[in-house]
Amino acid sequence: MVVSGHSNWPEWIYVGVVIALLAYVGAEAWNVERIVEHAPAEAEVIKVIGQQWFWTFERADGTKEVGELHVKKGHPYKFEITAKDVNHAFNIHDYVILQDAIVGRTNAAWFAPDKAGEYTIQCREYCGLLHYNMRATLYVEE
Amino acid sequence: MAKGLVFLSLAILVILPTLQLASGAENEAGQYVQRKVEIWNLFFKMMTIAFTVGAVVSGTLIWLVWRFRESNPKAKPTKYEEKGEW
Repeated sequence: MVVSGHSNWPEWIYVGVVIALLAYVGAEAWNVERIVEHAPAEAEVIKVIGQQWFWTFERADGTKEVGELHVKKGHPYKFEITAKDVNHAFNIHDYVILQDAIVGRTNAAWFAPDKAGEYTIQCREYCGLLHYNMRATLYVEE
Repeated sequence: MAKGLVFLSLAILVILPTLQLASGAENEAGQYVQRKVEIWNLFFKMMTIAFTVGAVVSGTLIWLVWRFRESNPKAKPTKYEEKGEW
C-alpha cells in the first residue's frame, strides 16, 4: 500500500536484496554440489560392498580387496557403493567422502587423492554389534 | 527506480555464480577438484552471508525499536495520529 507523502523504496530495496541473497545462496550451493558430484569420465570405477562388518572393494577386472584399498595419487576413482545385508555408510573422513551403502541400491561418489599416505575408511551408519570396528585402510600410493 | 535496483541486484547476484559454471570437474590448473576445499569454501561463503544478513536484520530491528520508542526526543505523532484520522 502506498501512503501519500511516504516513500516505500527502502522496502523494495530490502526485499530485492533478500531475494538476491537467497538466489545467490541457492545458485552457489547448487553449483558446488554439481562440481563435487560430477565424476570425470576417466575415473576408474571401484565397486564398494559393505556387509557386517567389513568392506570389499572390487575393480572392473574382477580383482578384489577386503579391508584395504590401494589407489594411486592424482588419479580419479568413482566408487559405486552398495550393501549386502543391512544399511551401512561408506566414509573416508580425510577426503570428505560420505555415502550411504544401501541394500539393493548403488550410490556413487568420486575422489582424486592428492596426498600419499594411509587413511581410515569407516562405516558411519550403525549396522550392528561390530559397527565400531567396521573399518578399512585406504593406501594412497605415489 | 526501486524496481530497477531490485532487478539490478538480482541480475548481478545471479549472473556472477552462473559464470563460474564453466569450470566443471577440473580447476584452472587442470587438477581435479578437492571435495574438502569446495565444501569448506561453500561453508565460509554461506557463513559470511548468514552473519551479514543476521547483522543487518538485527541492526535494523534494534535501530527501529530505539528510534521509534515513545521516549525518544525525536518522537512525534504522525499527522494521522495528530488529527485522530486513520
